[in-house]
Amino acid sequence: MEVQSYRAEELFDWVTQGGHDFTLLDVRNNEEFGRFKVEGPHLSKMVNIPYIEFIENEEASVDRLQVPKEERIRIVCAKEGSAKYVGEILLNNGWEDVRILEKGIKSWGNLLTPKLVASQNGYALYQFIRPGKASCSYGLIYEDEMVVFDPSRNAQFYQDFANEHGAGIIKTFETHLQADYISGSKLIHSDTGAQIVGHQGDFKDAVFEYKSVNDQEIFQFSKGGPEIQAIHTPGHTPGSTSYLIDNKFLVSGDTVFVLSIGRPDLGGMAEEWSKLLYKTIRTKIADMNDDLLILPGHYLDWSEANPEKVIVDTMGSIKTKNADIYGIAEENDFVRFIKDNMRKQPDVYGEIRKVNAGILEVDDEEQEIMDLGKNECAASMYGK
Amino acid sequence: MRTEEGGNKMSDDTNAVKILDLKGLACPMPVVKVSKGIKEIEVGQVLQAVTSDPGALTDFPAWANTTGNEIIKTETEGKETSFFIKRIV
Repeated sequence: MEVQSYRAEELFDWVTQGGHDFTLLDVRNNEEFGRFKVEGPHLSKMVNIPYIEFIENEEASVDRLQVPKEERIRIVCAKEGSAKYVGEILLNNGWEDVRILEKGIKSWGNLLTPKLVASQNGYALYQFIRPGKASCSYGLIYEDEMVVFDPSRNAQFYQDFANEHGAGIIKTFETHLQADYISGSKLIHSDTGAQIVGHQGDFKDAVFEYKSVNDQEIFQFSKGGPEIQAIHTPGHTPGSTSYLIDNKFLVSGDTVFVLSIGRPDLGGMAEEWSKLLYKTIRTKIADMNDDLLILPGHYLDWSEANPEKVIVDTMGSIKTKNADIYGIAEENDFVRFIKDNMRKQPDVYGEIRKVNAGILEVDDEEQEIMDLGKNECAASMYGK
Repeated sequence: MRTEEGGNKMSDDTNAVKILDLKGLACPMPVVKVSKGIKEIEVGQVLQAVTSDPGALTDFPAWANTTGNEIIKTETEGKETSFFIKRIV
């Protein structure tokens, strides 16, 4: 019997919507599994038994599984080969519903899933969740034009999405110079001619052409539509900029998260950037309406999603949930909070920044490796 | 050619008694073949495995760790890596 496969999109539906009971068997090595694994609010059963152990001791590994024979098993490996190898062993041992992830964990790492956030006043706003990175990018469509915020390097996805909605991409907004994933803006620009918009506080050393954005600057579509207002919100990076859409939604990048706040220590200047962030909180975020809907660049875990599995919350709710951060009344105390929570950033972040500024060229395969894994962008040390 | 010494001073002798050509094979086959190959030499002898699969760079050390055998040296030349593996168990 041939082992059947499943796609990353299906896996996303199973782990976010529920109603599909299965055990996820990850057969990568313990180290790779520890670094990066599938996550989801409805993923209740996951086990890591390396394929190497199935090779060395098939019987003991099969015993370790402890899944009744009539239950579903979904296997994940680096590519496909090891999952197939283990899948065949399980079929031979009496399990019947065993399937393997097409193209392996990479396809999960690169998956983008669109969710409609709002469709009103002639525009449609989408959130593209990348579950493998726990990051969110956004698309705003008006008439036949689309703008994108913080695209991942899977540039083709955004172009196909635009096409399916009868639109072309005219601009990509970078809320900041990303350190945790490779931006798709350069690729989208070279494929479509879309303008890249970024703040010179982050992009002054970039070797590609970009439109330098100013605080309070307003952008519109050719035929009008919703206004997009830039709000300079430095702290996570000096050039961090949030974008206010139609006075209702704030694409907040790595500044405001639903839980925690964007780390200001990734640039190696924790003290200085913490003070910038504190000022942003006091002078800009403090003034924001409680009913403003925040669309963040990341989430820590799925508890931050609303019932429709969109990562969104109101400013008022976020300030309440994070009172330990927004309630800090002194700059010194805020700097101390940041420093107390500081932890090492992944080594690869320095290189990703260079790639995103166009300073470092690496081939596609290398980018793929650099780009895989969950982000480390929130200030609170939940992962510690 | 880049050579990395691994293991302890007692393992300097890297004369392989058996060579496995695993070039072109993808995961999981390199580990399957090495697992089988190591059982065909005596404890204390060395097996040389030549691979081209980038996955081997992480999977061979993980395999050695799991089984208790020892990678005493690796040599990388272009896309090929040779592992010299001493049978311990």
